[in-house]
Amino acid sequence: MKERLTKLITVILVCVLFAGLLAGCSSSGKGDDVATDTKKEEKTTEKKEDTESAAQTEESSGVVEINFPTSWVGVSSNTEWFNDRLAAFNEQYGDKIKVNVEEIAGDQAYVDKMKVLYSSNSLPDVFSTGGYNLIDSMKDQLVDITDYIDEEWYNSNSEVCWDVNSRDGRIYGVPYSRQVIGYFYNKDLFAQAGITEPAKTWDEFFEQCDKLLAAGITPLSMDTADSGWVTSLMLGAMIAQTEEGEEFMNTLQPKDYNREDFIQAATMIQEMFQKYTTADAVGGKYENAASNFFMEETAIIANGPWMVSDFYDENMVEAGFAEKVGTAMFPGGVMYNSGKIGFNFASKTEEKLKASIEFVRFLTSEESQKKLLEMTGDIPSNINVVSDQVYPLINEVIENGNKASRNINDFQSLWYANVVDEISVQYPLLAQGEITPEQFADALSAVAKVN
Amino acid sequence: MRVKKRYMVFFLLPCILLFALVYLLPIIIVLFTSFYEWKAGGIFQFIGLDNYIKAILEDTRMHTALKNTGIWALLQSVIHVGIGTTTALLLSRRRKGWKLLRTVYMIPNVISASALGVIFLNVFNPKYGLVNSFISLVTGEKFAKNWYFDQNSAFFTVTLSWLLYAGLVTILVLAGLASISEDVLEAAKIDGASTLQIDLFIRLPLTRTVIGTSVIIAATSMLREFELIYLTTNGGPGITTLNLPLYLYKTSLMDNNYGYANMMGVVLIILGVIAVFAINKIFRMNEADY
Repeated sequence: MKERLTKLITVILVCVLFAGLLAGCSSSGKGDDVATDTKKEEKTTEKKEDTESAAQTEESSGVVEINFPTSWVGVSSNTEWFNDRLAAFNEQYGDKIKVNVEEIAGDQAYVDKMKVLYSSNSLPDVFSTGGYNLIDSMKDQLVDITDYIDEEWYNSNSEVCWDVNSRDGRIYGVPYSRQVIGYFYNKDLFAQAGITEPAKTWDEFFEQCDKLLAAGITPLSMDTADSGWVTSLMLGAMIAQTEEGEEFMNTLQPKDYNREDFIQAATMIQEMFQKYTTADAVGGKYENAASNFFMEETAIIANGPWMVSDFYDENMVEAGFAEKVGTAMFPGGVMYNSGKIGFNFASKTEEKLKASIEFVRFLTSEESQKKLLEMTGDIPSNINVVSDQVYPLINEVIENGNKASRNINDFQSLWYANVVDEISVQYPLLAQGEITPEQFADALSAVAKVN
Repeated sequence: MRVKKRYMVFFLLPCILLFALVYLLPIIIVLFTSFYEWKAGGIFQFIGLDNYIKAILEDTRMHTALKNTGIWALLQSVIHVGIGTTTALLLSRRRKGWKLLRTVYMIPNVISASALGVIFLNVFNPKYGLVNSFISLVTGEKFAKNWYFDQNSAFFTVTLSWLLYAGLVTILVLAGLASISEDVLEAAKIDGASTLQIDLFIRLPLTRTVIGTSVIIAATSMLREFELIYLTTNGGPGITTLNLPLYLYKTSLMDNNYGYANMMGVVLIILGVIAVFAINKIFRMNEADY
């Protein structure tokens, strides 16, 4: 009797263990939980069954579910805008389309996640990388949406915005914002150094740096970590001094950096690191560079208009700081004035693709774009959108963009991801004179050729 | 008690299946694809041993990553475990405050790597970091070394991120020391052995397997160390602090070269197996003490 009971218990325990194992490995079916959906997405081996069962469920409820991972969470400047737009979309389309949002904090983590999903052929229905170019490396899994973009939609957006989202005349991304980037300067610190207006040439720029130094002011905010965003913006602007340089800064995925204009720009960057910036610039992140500018420890920082709202945030700066800030074009009349990689699509079914496009169309509608401008300072891709409810500095930046004699695209959108990463580890060597500008160019070329 | 074999199989099956699914299958896929040129854009072509040959003959980054990984594994096995064991021997004397010390020493081990990375970046910050401020205070002169990003100090500074914090080893060895029979120690005392002699010739040899386990943990932890390097130097300046896991990550996610990255995965697995095998041999892990 005792032996039978033991056997029975054994069988039950084994069954429970197997059930647990199978439950852990099986699909969770339709669930409201975003996390559950994310797990489902990662189980590529059972993707087909997942899709079929989800499609059946959707058919019965009439609601199409789409997945949209986003980095517009937490401290991201777009969080408030996205939450507002998502709520509005749900209100309007909730009975037809359900957007499963997966939150991924940080742009780099987001891009990495997309790459992992790409390698297992399970990209989400729609995603937006915040400017990183994944079109070229993922084109085989992205949907060509040219036929879904009607004339009205196409014409409402700036041509440069479509250009950066297109390959060989076919559209792979829907733009939502335009990059207009120059630099900001502290008018008070400029006045202390006897500088009356921003420099017109790079020679004059360096003279102003010397004047600032003489007045006991550190001229520049710089960084090297995370692609050295602030520093690389200046590097790109220096390269674009000539027509050839401007062309190079609008070339997609260049492989050869061993060119005179690039080496000359790298030489100037090396000098900037060695003479005109803060001690924490080498190894520093954007946050360090921004913090130095906010605390008026530096006089100049290169960045886009999305930074403007910070100038008014008294948690970050002293009251009245925004009044001290001026905007400028880079010397030579150079501005970053380009489209930005927008929303990409990888839906596996027509139904989901249409729902995804509907969702993106809502996010890029005039109303949404106006809110984007007002809430984030991000300049909309839609050329019809204007607002008088934005900070005056943002309008100044846009105006500078319109007046620029040379317009270039930003390196993060154009250059290979591994080149952008390599910059971070080569800048410290360049800054400390461990390598020459020529070797810096060689290092980037070598990495680019791996692609 | 007699255990029926089929029950053993029944109970082990879920675990074996799980292992096969979660570990074995991916390892086989990694091994298989390491012989392919597998890149983004749908490139997937058999190339035999080309990835391995390129890694051995041409790839200087691979050589540096291997060298750094090896040095760190060695340092961790010797110095890190040495520090942990010495601390355990001192704490085992149970002087006043030993429990507090034991707890405090564990703190770096319970903080997440990402938080530690930020802490270390601030501690070694050239502008306002604790280390430079302290040196400036002592010397009376402004000291502004960029510890993490100066090519001469980067490797040393990254090493400091983990080398000294041997709380886990201390806890393990303390447990090993506590399990030594009091009779043995008493016999040694009666024979006239000093405290140092007891530590060196009785207690240490009797905790051999625990120390061996600690060395395995320490050495293999260096074969998968990623976060702290990624969050501090990202392998730089240049490739000064590049190790194999970080190079694998960059090859896979920056270069989109999955075949080559998987070759590194295979190398890491082989290195791990060799390390475990060698340490088992050195510490005679399968032999009983008494």
